[in-house]
Amino acid sequence: MGGQTLVTGVIGSDTHIVGNRILNIGLEKAGYQIVALGALTPAEEFVDAAIETAADAILVSSLYGQGELDCRGFRDLCVEAGIGDILLYIGGNLVVGKQSWESVEQRFLDMGFDRAFPPGTRPEDVVAALEADFARRGAGGRGD
Amino acid sequence: MTRSDTALTQERIPDDAFAAMRRDNLARWPTGAAVDLAEAVAFHQALPEHKRLAPVMRRAVAEGRCLTQPRGGVGTLEGQKALMRTLDRDGMADIVPLTTDSYTRNERFAEAEAGVAESERQGRSMLNGFPIVNYGVAAARELVAEVEKPTILLTGTSMPKLTGEIGFAGGFSGYLGSGIAYTVSYIKELSIEDGIRNYQYLDRLAALYQEHGVELHRRQPGFLTGTNIPPCIAIMTCVLDALLAAAQGVRNYGLELGQCLHVVQDAAAIAACRELVQEYLGRLGYTDVFTPVTSLHWMGAWPYDDAQSAALVSWGGALAALGGAASVTTKSVHEAYGIPTAEANAEGLRMTRMAIYLARSLRLDGLPEYEREKAQIHAEVRPIIDRVLELGDGDVARGTVRAFEAGVLDIPWSPNRHVRGRLLPARDDAGYLRILDPGDMPFPAEVREYHAERLRDRAAHEGVDFDSPELAIASVYEISEELRRLLPDARSA
Repeated sequence: MGGQTLVTGVIGSDTHIVGNRILNIGLEKAGYQIVALGALTPAEEFVDAAIETAADAILVSSLYGQGELDCRGFRDLCVEAGIGDILLYIGGNLVVGKQSWESVEQRFLDMGFDRAFPPGTRPEDVVAALEADFARRGAGGRGD
Repeated sequence: MTRSDTALTQERIPDDAFAAMRRDNLARWPTGAAVDLAEAVAFHQALPEHKRLAPVMRRAVAEGRCLTQPRGGVGTLEGQKALMRTLDRDGMADIVPLTTDSYTRNERFAEAEAGVAESERQGRSMLNGFPIVNYGVAAARELVAEVEKPTILLTGTSMPKLTGEIGFAGGFSGYLGSGIAYTVSYIKELSIEDGIRNYQYLDRLAALYQEHGVELHRRQPGFLTGTNIPPCIAIMTCVLDALLAAAQGVRNYGLELGQCLHVVQDAAAIAACRELVQEYLGRLGYTDVFTPVTSLHWMGAWPYDDAQSAALVSWGGALAALGGAASVTTKSVHEAYGIPTAEANAEGLRMTRMAIYLARSLRLDGLPEYEREKAQIHAEVRPIIDRVLELGDGDVARGTVRAFEAGVLDIPWSPNRHVRGRLLPARDDAGYLRILDPGDMPFPAEVREYHAERLRDRAAHEGVDFDSPELAIASVYEISEELRRLLPDARSA
């Protein structure tokens, strides 16, 4: 498995880079090509980078609570740019304050993300999800 | 003439140039028009002493007290008032904070405005702090009037110029942030040079108030990226930022250190920080700068278990008190989940306060391990600072920029493109934070060996490769691990 190209970064005005760096190390080890945009990355930059590198997925991190504002319309941006069915993941501390994960997850799935990951997710979990999703898509189109 | 046309220097910004810079700065957002220095000076002078942070910090040091201060900011004025009241009354905070939101930190004031509207519409804060520039001077004064304590701005930004103007004019008497520390930890593109220039403005502004008889408290955030920062790295930035602030005329300058969570290392770091900053200030001719040290509750990843977090909060109070810190900045059991409720925040303050009380008479002075660690930190900081001063031909600002370019200064896990980010820290078997890979920092051979030896021991015990980042990564997660992994019960061990 592996070999696909993944765009990663921390969205919005967020500088929390540590977990994202560790994620990149884990994804690289699993054989993926990583386009690492780093901290403080606007949504548009994720989409531009995905087009430029013909990426197979965009992995968005958000740790500072304002992800809910930053991610509004993310799927629409992809649609407008012609990559409407790209695999979209989000993970981190996605909202302000302590809220139930189920409601947070649903909110981001409704926004068009294929998966949302809670805080504390390890690179291995992301690799497992990618493998499952790529396998499903490879075997006959999109999984949703 | 704009300042950026001239070469970067540590020199005090001249009066006329500064007046022009202030005019340009205050014109950047409508609320800037309400800033009037003479009127703001009068406002500060009318505040009782217990609401002014500079004298409150001086008194804490004179009396050997460890003050408590939380963080806290929400997106609406009424919400912020309620939060500050709760922290003051229920939390017994000695210093009441205002944390700005991340749009404000990045000077995206239009987006902050939209966030305020959205927060009010939804009836919950959509912002992770208070957008003070959008609200302006009068609202800031309403907040100051809400509490009977000194107030400090926590703004996590390398662009403090407008936030600082509004905040100081609004009666806030403390401001956390500095040109080196925040530029290496809170922004991706901004150069170290521009970050230093931005804080030269803020420091010069604080000095301007001082010239008019109002002493403000400036403070340096030595916690940097908050992720396993070895004391020597934090203290180097404290020294350099303090020298830059002193050059602009600041005389009340706090220094912050994130806790390593090792009782000996943290106490040694607090003492070494105080000593080294004063040593270099003295060497450059600044003999009257007051530099209290603040200890910060764990700044890395927190556990998702309230009980484990409660231990970290309490332990953090004890570490600050027995290390002799002038104040401690607190967290709460909600830390892993993001921003705490006002009640949880107040509870974190009281947990910390009880721990300070219990540890009040403990000191490690004379303990061999403590003295050795303190001497070790001195031996780590001096060669690097001396090299930075050399690189700048005596100019701290230029030396700092060149040192980052050359990798002489490096910060672990930095988001900034102008930082090499090759240095990797990890925790040793005894719980000290050590340097796994020094990157290109010119530490003496014996310093490198001291760190490597201790981490080689851990790598050997755990059977992991010393020459990989594995120990550094494990150390990032460590404190947030579940208890059953950290310390299994005796039966299953």
